[in-house]
Order: sequence, then C-alpha cells, then structure tokens
Amino acid sequence: MPAITVENLQKSYGDKVAVADVSFDVQRGEVFALLGPNGAGKTTTIEILEGFRRRSSGTVETLGVDPADTNTQRWLRTRIGVVLQELAVEPFYSVRQVLTRNAGYYPSPRSVDEVISLVGLDEKADARVKTLSGGQQRRLDVGLGIVGNPELLFLDEPTTGLDPSGRRDSWELIRRLAADGTTVLLTTHYMDEVEALADRVAVLSNARIVATGTPSSLGGRDTGVVTIRFSLPEGIALGDLPVPVHTLHEGRVEIRTEDELKVLYALSGWALERGLRLPGLSVARVTLEDVYLALTREDEK
Amino acid sequence: MSATPTVGSFEGLGDLRLVVRQTWYEQLSFWLNPIGAAFTVGFSVIFLLLLGASAGNSRISYYGNIKLIQYYVPGFVAYGVMAACFNILAITLVNRREMGLLKRLRLCPLPTWALLTAVLLSSMIIAAVEVVILLLVGRVGFGVHLPDNMGAFILAVVVGMVSFSALGLAMSTLVPNQDAAGPIVSIVFFVLLFLSGLWFPLRPGSGLAQSSSYFPVHHFIVAVFAPFDTQKGASPWAWHDLLVVAIWGVAGAVVAVRRWSWTPRRP
Repeated sequence: MPAITVENLQKSYGDKVAVADVSFDVQRGEVFALLGPNGAGKTTTIEILEGFRRRSSGTVETLGVDPADTNTQRWLRTRIGVVLQELAVEPFYSVRQVLTRNAGYYPSPRSVDEVISLVGLDEKADARVKTLSGGQQRRLDVGLGIVGNPELLFLDEPTTGLDPSGRRDSWELIRRLAADGTTVLLTTHYMDEVEALADRVAVLSNARIVATGTPSSLGGRDTGVVTIRFSLPEGIALGDLPVPVHTLHEGRVEIRTEDELKVLYALSGWALERGLRLPGLSVARVTLEDVYLALTREDEK
Repeated sequence: MSATPTVGSFEGLGDLRLVVRQTWYEQLSFWLNPIGAAFTVGFSVIFLLLLGASAGNSRISYYGNIKLIQYYVPGFVAYGVMAACFNILAITLVNRREMGLLKRLRLCPLPTWALLTAVLLSSMIIAAVEVVILLLVGRVGFGVHLPDNMGAFILAVVVGMVSFSALGLAMSTLVPNQDAAGPIVSIVFFVLLFLSGLWFPLRPGSGLAQSSSYFPVHHFIVAVFAPFDTQKGASPWAWHDLLVVAIWGVAGAVVAVRRWSWTPRRP
C-alpha cells in the first residue's frame, strides 16, 4: 500500500482555485518532491495530506486513512512528522526542554539526545531557543518534526533560508532518514535539492501537475537534445567544419543533436587532424531547470 | 500497517496525565519568560503597594466608611485574576498563533481539548499565585482582614477565572496581529478597569456606576469584595454580580469558538 494516494484532489477558496485536479502517489520509503513556483498549490496540497486543511473534492489517503477523518486523525498524527514552511519554535524553552515536551506527545518517540545529535545541536542542547541563530532554530524545527519517530515526514521547503552548509546538513539528514525507511514528502523550489534528494518529483504549476517522473527523466531530459557549443578556431570558416552548425554571435557556434557521440567524434577527429583547438567547447544536456522553466512558463504569464 | 486506527478523542487516564504534563510545560514557558512573569504578578503588587501607601487610610464615605485599602485588596485580587486570565492569556495566544506555534501543536497528536485545558489551567494557576500574594501583601503590609467567608471568596475568584479566561480566548480571536496584541488588549483592559472602579470605588447611582454595570469588570470586583464582610449585614454571596460575570464568560466562549483560528491572521 502506498504511503500517500491522491486522486483528483481539488481545493478552492470561493472563486480562487488553489489546487485543481491533482493526482499522484508516494510509495513507502520514497523521497517524493513537489516542485513548483510560489502559489502553485504545494503547501495547500501538503496541508490537506496532513489533515490540517479540508479538501473540496477528490480522494486522499495518508498512511491508509483519510486525513480529514476526525476518528483517525489523532492516530495519524502519531505517525506523521511535520515541518512547516514558516519557522515555528517556542522561544522560552531550552532545546532539550521543547524536544522533551514534544516527545511526550508520541507513543514511541526517538530519544531526545538522538534527535539533538541528528540535527547537530549538541552544543546548544541547553541553550534557550530564542538565543539560537535562524539556521539553528530551523534545525530544531526539523528536530521537532522527527522526534515522534514518524513513518511519514512532511517537509514544506525545509532548506529555504539556510546557508549552503546548513542545506548540505539538512540533505544529509533527509538521506539518513530515508535510508532508515522514513517516507518523505517535501516541497521545494530548488532544482538542486530535487536532484540531490528526490526519488521522484511532481511539478506543480497553476494548481495542476504538469509532469511527474524521476528527476533525471523529467520532461524527457534523459533522451532528447544535447547542445554542443564552441568558438570557431582562427582562420576557419563555417563551411570548413565537418558538421552543420548555426552561428550564435562573434564566432560562437552551436550544434543541437540527439546523436551527440557521433557529432563529437567527427568534430574532434577533424580538429585533431588539423592541430586545431575548439575554444570554449561545452556539451550540455537540458538541465532540470530548463525543463522546470519550460513546464512552469504558463504560470509566469 | 502497524495498528488499526483508533478513535481519536478521550483515551482515559493517559490523557489526564497528558493534560497535567502540558500544564506543567505551559507553566514552565510562562515563568521562564521573566518579563511576562514580572509584568503579571509584579504589576498588581506594585499597584497595591503604591495605592495602599498613598491613599490606603482614607475612608470612603459612601461605602460604609471603610478604609480605602480594605477596598483595594479585593480590587487588586480581581485585577490579578483578570490580568492573568484575560490580558496575559489573550496576548500569549495571539503571539502563539501568529508565530505559527498553534498550527504546529495542532499537527501534533496532542488533542485540542487537552491543549486548551492545559492553557486555561495554566492561567488559572498564575491567577491563583497572584491572589495569594496579594492577600498576603494586604494582610502583612496593611493589616487588611482576610475574607470572612472563604467559600464565597473562592467561588467568586473561580467564576472570574473561568469567565475572564473565556473572554481572553475571545479577545485573542479579535486581535489581528502580534504587534497589535499588547496595545489593543491593554487599552481594552485598562479602560474597563478605569470605568469599573478599580482605582476608586464607584459612587452608587453615579453615571460611571450606571455605565460600568453593563460590563463584567465592576461586577467581578463587587463579587470579590463582598466576602470580606466589611459592611455589617451585607451578604458575602454576590449572586447577581457573579451571574453577570458568568454571562459575559459564556458570550466570550461563543465568540472564541466561532472565531478561533489555528493559523496566523497575517497574509
């Protein structure tokens, strides 16, 4: 049974449609990313799955139960962990106090010491929360999400506002939790985060899913066109080249091909024979960002 | 799946332990915030000391010719209850809501009723601490008699705690954001106190007494004052006043339930 099933989910506030016909599922043990621009419906979707918001229509199951069903809500909340988009930590407790408080809400929590070292706050364990830096408070926030030892963890933009090393640490933690079998549903608008963490990704745009797949196959990235670029060597005209190219500017040329090996073979053989260099040679597959921007362009308008 | 989903409401003794535990953490959070603690408890004591020292020995001709301090002690007991249960509760809840803390707790397995019970119990404990301190200051510092009728006194204080907590919950739902919480709540609170005869007893039949009779504060002060038995022959049980306080409490509860929000009001 999947950890999450969403079928034709729809949510509107009056005339405003926040989520329109969204369907996807998340397998147990999977790290699944919802990727999309602000306002695409990521947070609304995740909040419906947590049982915080009610849907307008559609079918939703979280760990096998309807998250809106009040009879099973308390049970569900013992098995999920949530980290909200906005930092929310109690200011007056120490790190250890607030983690101990929250651990007591769950039937089989992680040990507080384990959580403190998982999120790297060992040196701050007895510091008051309000004395922590923003990044440290974010780590504590994540700690509060995992202290209940959840089967399923919701992370709404977990690394927004973290510095690069903080992001790396968070990624490491998410990988570790996933390796231990925790299912993770995360939202993000960072492409590198999706590539680093997600087994599968769904791209939300304008309240709809516009693509689903693995990060490496999304939008046909793994097949499709490769772009080869270089500058013309001195004294060489376009007609001298062994393959057809088109000019970009100032002697810079580009080749688009689906058979990049063959083109590169011809090109490099030709250049080596003549003792030429191909200045600024680059070979690029479409980036996830290219795909994402193409998929979400509608939203921009 | 590890277990069959179970019904999520009250689950027996374990839940009561949960409430006690949560109340303990609410208390911890309150007393760990020195400014909040000093403001609530310290404020009422300082007020009482200042007013008692400056005017405590004057007598109130239209109030059985009692010493003013004999009026101030019950008055500030009422103030203490209202400060903890209305003022501090409302401001704390707005802060917690706007900081996203209520939303986060909502997503924990702690049941809503357990959280709210603990929050209310916690403000009542704070109020009770204030009441005891104020009675001690009145007794030791100014030689004021303790309430003659303890039963009536405790009933009045408890009715006030419950009703003003309900009004505190309601007030928190009316304040739009964190920055406005302190000013709005305090203005409402102090204007009501002023109109209701905390600083000086209202002359019966005066315009102020007339207008304050619609609000709960004056009635609460009267209900706390009655059990001190300072006017011979007057009943220690101020039923009519307690009823008005309770009606306001019920109205507060209705507003709180209707307007309650777990999420920040800010856009």
